[in-house]
Amino acid sequence: MTVLLDTPPTVVETDGDAEDALFATLSERAVQARRLIVDMAASTRGCHLGGSLSVLDILIAALHRASAGDGTEVVLSKGHAAAGLYAALHVSGVLPENPAPLYGLAGHPYTGHPGPKVPGVRFPTGSLGHGVPYAAGWALARRIGGQDGLGIAVAGDGELQEGLVWETCQVAAAQQLGNFVLVVDRNGGQNDGYVEDISPLHRLPERFAAFGFEVAETDGHDLRALTAILSADRSAARRPLAVIADTVKGKGVAAVQGKAGSHYVSIDATRAAKWKRAIR
Amino acid sequence: MSLSGRDAYRDELTRIAADDTSVICLEADLGGKGHPFEAAHPDRFFNLGIAEGAMVDMATGLAAAGYKPFISTFAPFAALRAAESLKLTLGYLAAGVTVVAPYAGVSGAWFGTTHHCLEDLAVLRSIPGVTIAAPYGEAEMRAVVREAARSGKPHYIRTGRNAAYDSLDPYGDADVPPPVTWEFRSGSGSGHDSDAVCLVSVGEEGTRLALEARRASPDTSHAHLVYLDHEHLAASAAELARHHRRFVVVEEHRGQGGAAEALALLMPGCEVTSVAAGQNWPAQGGDHEEVMAALGLDLPAVLAAVSRARGGYRPAQAAA
Repeated sequence: MTVLLDTPPTVVETDGDAEDALFATLSERAVQARRLIVDMAASTRGCHLGGSLSVLDILIAALHRASAGDGTEVVLSKGHAAAGLYAALHVSGVLPENPAPLYGLAGHPYTGHPGPKVPGVRFPTGSLGHGVPYAAGWALARRIGGQDGLGIAVAGDGELQEGLVWETCQVAAAQQLGNFVLVVDRNGGQNDGYVEDISPLHRLPERFAAFGFEVAETDGHDLRALTAILSADRSAARRPLAVIADTVKGKGVAAVQGKAGSHYVSIDATRAAKWKRAIR
Repeated sequence: MSLSGRDAYRDELTRIAADDTSVICLEADLGGKGHPFEAAHPDRFFNLGIAEGAMVDMATGLAAAGYKPFISTFAPFAALRAAESLKLTLGYLAAGVTVVAPYAGVSGAWFGTTHHCLEDLAVLRSIPGVTIAAPYGEAEMRAVVREAARSGKPHYIRTGRNAAYDSLDPYGDADVPPPVTWEFRSGSGSGHDSDAVCLVSVGEEGTRLALEARRASPDTSHAHLVYLDHEHLAASAAELARHHRRFVVVEEHRGQGGAAEALALLMPGCEVTSVAAGQNWPAQGGDHEEVMAALGLDLPAVLAAVSRARGGYRPAQAAA
């Protein structure tokens, strides 16, 4: 974990057993959620499998941070990873019903990109870039009200090609929104191939730093590291935080892990059962 | 002396915010210096810089947290540059965000085509659930802004640049502008008891031209419309059709997607003539009126339309 923070993150002091229990819980949530995502790939619609699996641990950690109840809002800006969001919301207890059997079906809100009819989702995302300013606006609202709580946007690295992201970074830095956090799910892929081949993101950490952000780089599948960064007290921070989380597209499913072709996947029930059994 | 639409907006919002601490004012570097809201409520005023999309979307986040954001930037940048954000915020989310858009139509005049917006009504009218207003004069602008703040519903309010007009009706503090404001109505009873052509005015310059036209043609009725979304236009159409059959709609907007087109569909038994901007792109300088004239939006054009309407009416039932 590389950290370029004004104040290094601290993990809430607990005894070792309690901390181990927490991360065992979060890890188990991730396993269960990955199986749900595979179920959604096996629906009649298929799903954005690779990005849902890459962003999942980030979402698990962010939703755990939000569960503190201080008004933190998590916005999945890369809305095409809706299957990952639905699964994460379900295993985190925010979404009571299992979304997998209902995914993509008429009469149910679990569309291919998420909207506010899904419990736990406030904003429609999927038209890329918008979730970043939604979360920044939320952060501004908390600050105006003198309230704690973060606005956390989770974006894809391909999504950073949208100008709206940088427009918002400019505004967030100018407004000194220390309670705004932008987590980048850097899985290296986008719809038509690799980010590196289509529109590479040169010197990304330096780019955020130049905008006036604090910057942290971490393994995006390390739940302890993610939780430590997102749990840090930012009530006195004056600079927004960018977390560049390195992830693997298709993480956790060996058949697709690391493959650009995992972007959108539709599979049959037999293959889904096999993949789910292998998820650990 | 009346204030311009945008000055009236700034002043009224500043007054409202004194009592309503949920009101937030956002600008995108075009609010002018010395904004009264900033002076009165600096903790709730934000100039976010030249970032229209971010401004609309951040207003969405603020609204989700319980605030009433009012955002303002020039109409072409609000309605066109940030159109996708408006669709999601004002339409899909029905967020309590009010967009106040000066420089509508060609009020940007000599600044050129980049600063003109003859398409905003078409864009916003196609988004369900958005209340669209084009107030005429200070009192009407104040009333519309009060209603936006009171209702908490998504609003798009278009206005011009610096022109200042006296509203047709002075609205009291609690009054909501009616769908139709009659400046003058021929005939005395209900039903189609008047063969007079009715001018229907939309927005600041449409209303100015209609008032001028009625002075030149005193037997012409004049109905002014404040709200231009489908729901309000449906109510307006019902009211208009109770009294007249022949209408000349004057609006500083392209005919496509404008009020005349909507009214024609809502009043199938009536004849609706449009005086609006056509297909041209005004690419030369001039003041506001000169640029409008280049588009065919001037008094002779309105009077010619009235004359044609007066002579050309063919009742639908007679044709059948």
